[in-house]
Amino acid sequence: MALASGSARLALARPRRLGLGSCGAPRRGAYEWGVRSTRKPEPPPPDRVYEIPGLEPITYAGKMHFMPGLARPVFPPWDPGWTPPKFRRLPPLHEHPLYKDQACYVFHQRCRLLEGVKQALWLTKTKLIEGLPEKVLSLADDPRNHIENQDECVLNVIFHARLWHSTEDIPKRETYCPVIVDSLIQLCKSQILKHPSLARRICAQNNMLSTTWNRGSTLIQVHGSSGAQLNAKDPLPPIASREEVEATKNHVLETFYPISPTVGLQECNVYDVNDDTGFREGYPYPYPHTLYLLESANLRPHRFQPDQLRAKMILFAFGNALAQARLLYGNDTKVLEQPVVVQSVGTDGRVFQFLVLQLNTTDLASDEGVKNLVWLDSDQLLYAHFWCLPVVRRKAVVKQKIYSGKPKCVCEMRNRNCLLECPRIFEVRQCPPNPSSPTLHRRLTYPGKEGRLLKQHKPKSCPAPGTKILPNQLPGIL
Amino acid sequence: MAAARCWRLVLRGPGLSLHTAAGAAVTAPEVTGPDVAAAPVARYPPLVASLTADSKAARQRRVERWQATVHAAKSVDEKLRILTKMQFMKYVVYPQTFALNADRWYQSFTKTVFLSGLPPPPPPAKPDTEPAPALDVAALRAAACDCLLQEHFFLRRKKRVPLYLEREAIASPFLDQLVASLTGLLSARNPALAAAALDCKRPVHFYWLRGEEIIPRGHRKGRVDALRYQINDKPHNQIRISKQLPEFVPLDYSVPVEVPVMNCKPDKLPLFKRQYENTIFIGTKTADPHCYGHTQFHLLPDKLKRERLLKQNCANQIEVVFRANAIASLFAWTGAQAMYQATIYAMKWMEKRSNKNPRVRSKSSENEMPDVEYCHVRNKVNSSKKNTGNQFCPSPALQSLHERTSLGHDVDERYTYGLESANDGILLKNLPLQA
Repeated sequence: MALASGSARLALARPRRLGLGSCGAPRRGAYEWGVRSTRKPEPPPPDRVYEIPGLEPITYAGKMHFMPGLARPVFPPWDPGWTPPKFRRLPPLHEHPLYKDQACYVFHQRCRLLEGVKQALWLTKTKLIEGLPEKVLSLADDPRNHIENQDECVLNVIFHARLWHSTEDIPKRETYCPVIVDSLIQLCKSQILKHPSLARRICAQNNMLSTTWNRGSTLIQVHGSSGAQLNAKDPLPPIASREEVEATKNHVLETFYPISPTVGLQECNVYDVNDDTGFREGYPYPYPHTLYLLESANLRPHRFQPDQLRAKMILFAFGNALAQARLLYGNDTKVLEQPVVVQSVGTDGRVFQFLVLQLNTTDLASDEGVKNLVWLDSDQLLYAHFWCLPVVRRKAVVKQKIYSGKPKCVCEMRNRNCLLECPRIFEVRQCPPNPSSPTLHRRLTYPGKEGRLLKQHKPKSCPAPGTKILPNQLPGIL
Repeated sequence: MAAARCWRLVLRGPGLSLHTAAGAAVTAPEVTGPDVAAAPVARYPPLVASLTADSKAARQRRVERWQATVHAAKSVDEKLRILTKMQFMKYVVYPQTFALNADRWYQSFTKTVFLSGLPPPPPPAKPDTEPAPALDVAALRAAACDCLLQEHFFLRRKKRVPLYLEREAIASPFLDQLVASLTGLLSARNPALAAAALDCKRPVHFYWLRGEEIIPRGHRKGRVDALRYQINDKPHNQIRISKQLPEFVPLDYSVPVEVPVMNCKPDKLPLFKRQYENTIFIGTKTADPHCYGHTQFHLLPDKLKRERLLKQNCANQIEVVFRANAIASLFAWTGAQAMYQATIYAMKWMEKRSNKNPRVRSKSSENEMPDVEYCHVRNKVNSSKKNTGNQFCPSPALQSLHERTSLGHDVDERYTYGLESANDGILLKNLPLQA
């Protein structure tokens, strides 16, 4: 039988049940599974006595068993009183207690803004300054903030994250990205002996941030967790002086007509306007210090582009700062006497973005007035490339010129990470720009036990990812 | 022609040695007199057992040849590869196990002796060095309370965490944060901790042989076969340092307590055999300079928690669970570290009998009661009972090493905290990070 073929064993329902709905499509649950022999038998038709109006049928319901001659009782449909979670349907949105007519545009951790940083700046009424602030960078000039064997330590961290920490030959980004960030933070914390204020911090994850503000007539909300967050007992000092803050009044926010500023945000009518820092009252580390946003998906389409990541960093840092400001100074929209500073680091395991945001005002509805400030250090490479396995061509390992022009990145990157960890502490030590100097060469060949060198990867001859070319043994000669 | 070719090929092998020996004999008379007296020239090739015969001597020669290849291998990874490339059925040992009296079984598998109480304190610091700063108990207590309260109370999560996810969503980040904070605070007393590497849920693997059995069934029935074990552990946190911890007892310390001997096969534990990849891994690969272990932290699963064991009338197994976890995990970690070191310094280390034996500590904790500390001192590399030496060790000079045993210490288990009154004494006892 053609109908009964295949494992699905679909059976057409009876014509009267398979009545097409008003729109012409089959009703929900129109198909009946199972062959006719296995289906439940239909209930018997009601007795003729029920069709006679005014007659009270005498049924065997009271007798609790069948009695021939008496009518079959018809019971009211049974209401179990509860629905299993599997079959529960959500109430329509209009009936939700938090439903509001005005739509709110919510930014959560998977929102990709179309215009990237420009859009984030417009939404948060912020002025962008390229590069980290002088105050932060100049604090690093202090020679007391050196870490011993800084370059070697950072190289060890990179090797550990990209090669050593897993039994696999080539660890995946999902594992090496958090490992590299944790190791760099641990390296910064190793200076705790010199700087005891590093002990007045704690790391938290999965806290739910929620802040709402009006931008013109649109309501915008930042909601969700941003990953790992470092909280401190002491607030960060303001970076920009009063004059610089006043000078932002003259700055005009860049618009991107005809693109709407809310593109990429999720529009929803069910939202809660109340602010939430993610922590309850009385938390001993009330001031957000640094947010760490990791893009650790293995596949590139699942990761954010650098511009989108920077926008996300701006928005989450702004959300944290705004929630903190409203907690400290109330919900009134005003220019803050003491600006709130929040930092952020975003990475995908190789490229780092650094951000320092200073919240100067909570008056965000109008486009004029004092603006907030953000210092952004974009696209800093911790290392140019990393090859886990040597490539062998014609039974010889291909050697490589090492790190031409990249060593700066190693020191600067690591220093910037430390700077943001504790801005008063670390310095940027500029490596000599000459790539052929012997000291540089010696330092950057890996100083581990085997003295392993990074090999050059010639793309044309690369094997399939994850495989390696083994050198062929010379044929044995007897 | 084919036969002639074969004959020629067959003769090549022994023929080579004949030729070389003859060549040596020919060149011998050219050597001067005293040299001839000092080094008698071999006039005939050495008499050794066959390589391919079905005899014990031949098997012994094959084993020695294999050990020689391990010794001759250039790098640590190659040596480990040669040691672990052959796969056979092996017992899979789980450190966190519900088996009854697992600690005695694991002691017999790992040749470990259990001593109650902490090991003797290290010798006092030299007078010329600065004294270590006093332990700031209040700060440690405050840090521990902060970590606890943050996870259990202050942090607002998206949804209320269901009961079965509590351990993973609350206890796990709490332990991470606690380890990080305590490491930072205690690095004033121990500078090695400041430069230490902190691992989070990194695997630790170890593969070893101990004991023998007669194969009951199969084409090798009746023959003697070694018992192989593998531990695949995943400690919640571990601290690795670049210098080894000082030893608690000397390498040749003879322990008055005996290693428990179990009269049944390990299958009775229950322990099951499986064949898969043999791995030896300390948490990082061999090239990492932080190759010595300091402390491990474990979080016991809900299956082995105290209340559940009490409900099952297994109150005496609570301690057993902790001990078994500590013995197995630390044995695996120290063994893997020793393999990383021993394969580098194979001959030198074994022959000199240096004091380079790995020592580590571990802490096991249930969901809410971190309470037990174990120190594991590893005094040996091989744990086989065979007098002819362990198959791992390429040097034949290891015959006395099988007499060495490992030591495990423990302290009493207590509740480390209650929010009403934090027990400082227990927090101090449970801080292995001081030294």
